Amino acid sequence: MASRLEIRLKKEITDAEGAGLRRKAREYLGLEVKDIRVIRVLTIDADLHTDQLEQIRTNIFTNPVTEESSYTPLPEDFDRLIWIGFRPGVRDTAGSTAAEAIQDFLGITFTADQAVYTSKLYEIRGNLTERQVHKIASELLANELIQQWKIYSRDEWRPQQGIGILVPRVLLDHEPRVSTISIESDQELRRISLERNLALQDRDIPIIRQYFLREDVKADRKRAGLDLPTDVELEYISQARSDHCNHNTFRGLFRYHDLATGHREIVDNLFKSCIEAPTLKIKEEKDWVISVLWDNAGVGRFDDNYYYVITGETHNSPSNMEAYGGAITGIVGIYRDPLGTGKGAKLILGMYGYCVGPRDYRGELMPHLHPRRLLDGVIEGVRDGGNKSGIPTPFGLLLFDEGFMGKCLVFVTALGIMPAEIRGEQSHEKTTSPGDLIIMSGGRVGKDGIHGVTAASETYGEHTPAGHVQIGDPYTQKKMHDFLLEVRDEGLISFITDNGGGGLSSSIGESARFSNGCRVELDKVPLKYQGLDQWEIWVSESQERMTIALKPEHANRFMELSAKHSVESTIIGEYNDTGYLQLQYNNKTCAYVRMDLLRSDFPQWEFDAEWTPPEIRGLTEPVIDGPGNHNLLLKAILSRPNICGRNWVARQYDHEVQGGSVIKPLVGKKRDIPSDAAVVRPILGSKSGIAVTQALNPFYSQIDTYQMTAATIDEAVRKALAVGGDPDHLGGVDNFCWPTIEYHPTKNPDGKYKAAQLVRANWALRDYCLAYGIPLLSGKDSMYVDGNLKGPYGERRKVSGLPTLLFTVCSAIKDVSMCVTMDAKSPGDLVYILGDTNNELGGSEFYQMMGSVGINVPKVDAKGFWPHYLALARNIQEGLVSSCHAVSRGGLAVHLALVAMAGELGMQIHLPLVPGASELSVTQTLYSESCGRFIITVTPEKKERFEKGFSGMKIGKVGIVTESPRFSIMDRGDVAVIEEDVQALKEAWKRPFGELI
Amino acid sequence: MRRVNALVLTGYGLNCDYETDFSLKLAGAESHRIHINELIAPGRYGASPKLDDYHILVFGGGFSWADDHGAGVLMASKLKHHLGAPIERFIEDGKLILGICNGFQALVNLGLLPGFDKKYDERRVALTHNDSGNFIDTWVHLKFNPKSPCVFTKGLYDMELPVRHGEGKFYGAAEDIERLFANNLVVAQYADENGHEAKGQWPHNPNGSLEDIAGICDPSGRIFGLMPHPEAFNHFTNHPDWTRKKDSLLRRGIETIPEDGEGIKVFRNAVEFIRNSF
Repeated sequence: MASRLEIRLKKEITDAEGAGLRRKAREYLGLEVKDIRVIRVLTIDADLHTDQLEQIRTNIFTNPVTEESSYTPLPEDFDRLIWIGFRPGVRDTAGSTAAEAIQDFLGITFTADQAVYTSKLYEIRGNLTERQVHKIASELLANELIQQWKIYSRDEWRPQQGIGILVPRVLLDHEPRVSTISIESDQELRRISLERNLALQDRDIPIIRQYFLREDVKADRKRAGLDLPTDVELEYISQARSDHCNHNTFRGLFRYHDLATGHREIVDNLFKSCIEAPTLKIKEEKDWVISVLWDNAGVGRFDDNYYYVITGETHNSPSNMEAYGGAITGIVGIYRDPLGTGKGAKLILGMYGYCVGPRDYRGELMPHLHPRRLLDGVIEGVRDGGNKSGIPTPFGLLLFDEGFMGKCLVFVTALGIMPAEIRGEQSHEKTTSPGDLIIMSGGRVGKDGIHGVTAASETYGEHTPAGHVQIGDPYTQKKMHDFLLEVRDEGLISFITDNGGGGLSSSIGESARFSNGCRVELDKVPLKYQGLDQWEIWVSESQERMTIALKPEHANRFMELSAKHSVESTIIGEYNDTGYLQLQYNNKTCAYVRMDLLRSDFPQWEFDAEWTPPEIRGLTEPVIDGPGNHNLLLKAILSRPNICGRNWVARQYDHEVQGGSVIKPLVGKKRDIPSDAAVVRPILGSKSGIAVTQALNPFYSQIDTYQMTAATIDEAVRKALAVGGDPDHLGGVDNFCWPTIEYHPTKNPDGKYKAAQLVRANWALRDYCLAYGIPLLSGKDSMYVDGNLKGPYGERRKVSGLPTLLFTVCSAIKDVSMCVTMDAKSPGDLVYILGDTNNELGGSEFYQMMGSVGINVPKVDAKGFWPHYLALARNIQEGLVSSCHAVSRGGLAVHLALVAMAGELGMQIHLPLVPGASELSVTQTLYSESCGRFIITVTPEKKERFEKGFSGMKIGKVGIVTESPRFSIMDRGDVAVIEEDVQALKEAWKRPFGELI
Repeated sequence: MRRVNALVLTGYGLNCDYETDFSLKLAGAESHRIHINELIAPGRYGASPKLDDYHILVFGGGFSWADDHGAGVLMASKLKHHLGAPIERFIEDGKLILGICNGFQALVNLGLLPGFDKKYDERRVALTHNDSGNFIDTWVHLKFNPKSPCVFTKGLYDMELPVRHGEGKFYGAAEDIERLFANNLVVAQYADENGHEAKGQWPHNPNGSLEDIAGICDPSGRIFGLMPHPEAFNHFTNHPDWTRKKDSLLRRGIETIPEDGEGIKVFRNAVEFIRNSF
């Protein structure tokens, strides 16, 4: 018999959660609620005696100082009551920790079907209609994809029975079954593929059929007791061939055609030509590049004794459906990549990047989640995922644009560190050998993430798992992380990789290539609930799992340590060299596929790419005469959502944990201005550190994705150098997010243009990585950034996101005490601008504000810039620089203001002294977004040495830092163009989101 | 000079163990990171550490058991159940217990704090949700109580440290709060940059703690819990203003910048105390 424990804060104690909800109801929905108080509900689905129930109530689940609780309903004198609980199969970490605590305290063991489920009750007081309360439930609290809810009015409430006993247990009345699939004809297989969501690609189908029709294959299969291909086998092949696992788009063949010049060119495999080739070339030149292009993440040298590990990816579609769940699954998921790189790295840092619709969107399109709610959820997901993993999150970006209402972008980036050697072996090397055991550690397997996207449209029954939307569980993973580092240090790990996309099918499928075969017993895989088909066990994407290869003699110690960390580990098979991947269930073979099938030449994806240059697209410079009121203009730009302070995001993220914080996300006298980059000291006691930063500039894509990519790389490089990064050690991570590039006359009529945009972006990636000597340590592409949004007339409109590259740069720093921050330090300091300002306002913030795009997009003169960058790095290393800041979106006016605001000091700037200004109008000088520029402040005593370091370069001493907090910019003849109080600028910059917590 | 053994608990979602261990070593202790289960079942997993062999026990920061059901609650339940007796003995032996953030939350849920009348098993005070309702990472100014018996803060008057928590609001019944003050058991309070009381106001008081309470000790002064993280200020580059401080030192011709962070002093006091009393 299940029981229901209800817990609430005592009346006299502020209910912060309720208060927060009240605030949101007012700000988001315009609803005035008198009071909201929250009741936590534990539904204990286990047979416990009354005295046992009382013991756990008082000893564990009720804080006598702050809480009161009861096994009878608590709600009283409310006007309306909302109950919200998870759907069956949704990860309920609090439920499982409660079960763990109960069993431990009572010294009992739950049976497989006994569990604890958490849910919440919200007592609403105030004069609201049923519809308004429904709005609160559906738009602020619950997401129907993962949660269910009920609303009670005061009169229909039965105090005795309360909400009753609701047990969201997964019940699958299903006998696991392997089915075979007909390969009569290509058409037949295609039909079945559609019918079963196998998602086999049309062009792959003939190859797959030919394989299963081969005589030798048939003979082998016969011996294994198989005839026709099984669903397990086709699911496996489909997974392995998916764009996600195989990057078919980037490995595709592009027929590039410039419609202006008529120039045609075949571009074969963007990955090989624009990512792999340059990176391998640079690897030859830079001995700090340790391991690239094959593992879960790239590896670089941190110092003589340690390697760092870095990678980044996106989690867009899931976050778009369930913002919190998608984002927490994304950040916790990316943390498994460094953990699964080499023999395993300790996580030391996470970063985030969000591209979403306008927070205050009031337009007529209706996305699944309003951008504001989506952003809240995404921020909270990364907060819990990062903080609860004990990994600092010291850097991130946030960008608003209506194009991302079709699908939001959620970038997550992770860094790890590992000893260069483990028991005499190089830590970045790993392999599987015949006889190694296959072990799965961490979470259990459910229907999670199976055929994710298609599942989203299925309808739910009371007990069907909502598996396609997951909620990452940092607690389970943190235990696994600590455990795996310990087994690594004891030298027990032969091979390790994570279970992400494709689950076991890709982690085992790929690791078995090293030994050339494996045998897996699917019935050994621990399940969350019974009733999964064999193919589901094989492809499930249930989170928090790693796959490890182990020598049999290490098994006992491995399991001992697994128990110590209370992590579940199971031997599910072994690697061999049979040349076959063999899956069994209760000793019966259900899949038997040659390892070399996936290496056979499947047809390459092909794309038509048609480039129309901006001038042919009719882009021109806008006609805007110089504004009369530059004070007002600057304040207006500082208040724009993509320029203004977004500090509430960074403050929710622990950026101090692990004790190595050197440069924080917010810097300056009042610690409230974003830093160019974050710096951490991962090895305490060592002076060495790592600088990391990111950039994205999708608005330039409106003109040319080549320049967009170049500008984004250049910005990230400058931000890394601005804090003291080493120009000889710049590691890159490329994360592409692109709208669909397959041409379709009605569904994607501009597909050919988008394909050309992708080609051009990759050309720039190749050119500028070579120019700056940046190896691409890691990277991922995420296509299909489109959505079909419902409009007011029931129509659906396709909304595509701007082609976007998030570029990450990391740099190893020998002595962190030489790092600098961007805040002006002291009155009297000289202000320098390094690098030319040109007439480059195309795609700029200023033009966007004026409602135009323009055509003069910033260009990157890598050869010209590089000597500046080297000189700057030398000057910083010699301690000649007091502050340094890379000029990016918004231009000089905005970024000079930020430097002054950070120092809480004034500034006097003479525009004519700005390098390049003589050719430009005042507005152009102030708001051009030319690349290659820095704002540097220097103490007068160091003037000569500093300037000597830049002799013959494009640098100008443009003004001084002043005691009086006035920000003044003067034109020829000392005519004041801008004359404003620094605090006033700061207020303008903080106004939009200043109130958010 | 005798050897001071410190034990930093790990496992089940705790996460500040490396830097806490590092800080104790800087302070001169022989420090070990020990998994809770190794203490509960010595030998079962190879190593067999014994609490009795240690002088300083640290409950560090983190998210033990994911902080579900109240921060530190499930950890307290686990430890009380499996390690109640050894911990009692540890206290009777006059050894030191430090709880930082999640560790502080565990100590109040265990009842080791405030430990009025040596009653180390009743929950008398609580650390509950920040008034803001959200997790917050910010550096705070602390004012220490020179009259407090706390051995960890001996000779310290103020310090800047980071807080990183969602449940740091100190709460207790009025008479218990009075009693804490009356016995100088309130060790640390949030203050403004000039050392004046924060009066419960953001940003100086980051969570709405009653009376700006950031840390308390038991009457013996040997059990200390605080929300801010001394181990996160183990190096001068941890401080948010270090580039500004360094810059102004250089202007005054001072080239030597101190290496250690202020937070290490808390651990030094602990090590000193053990050296002198054991």
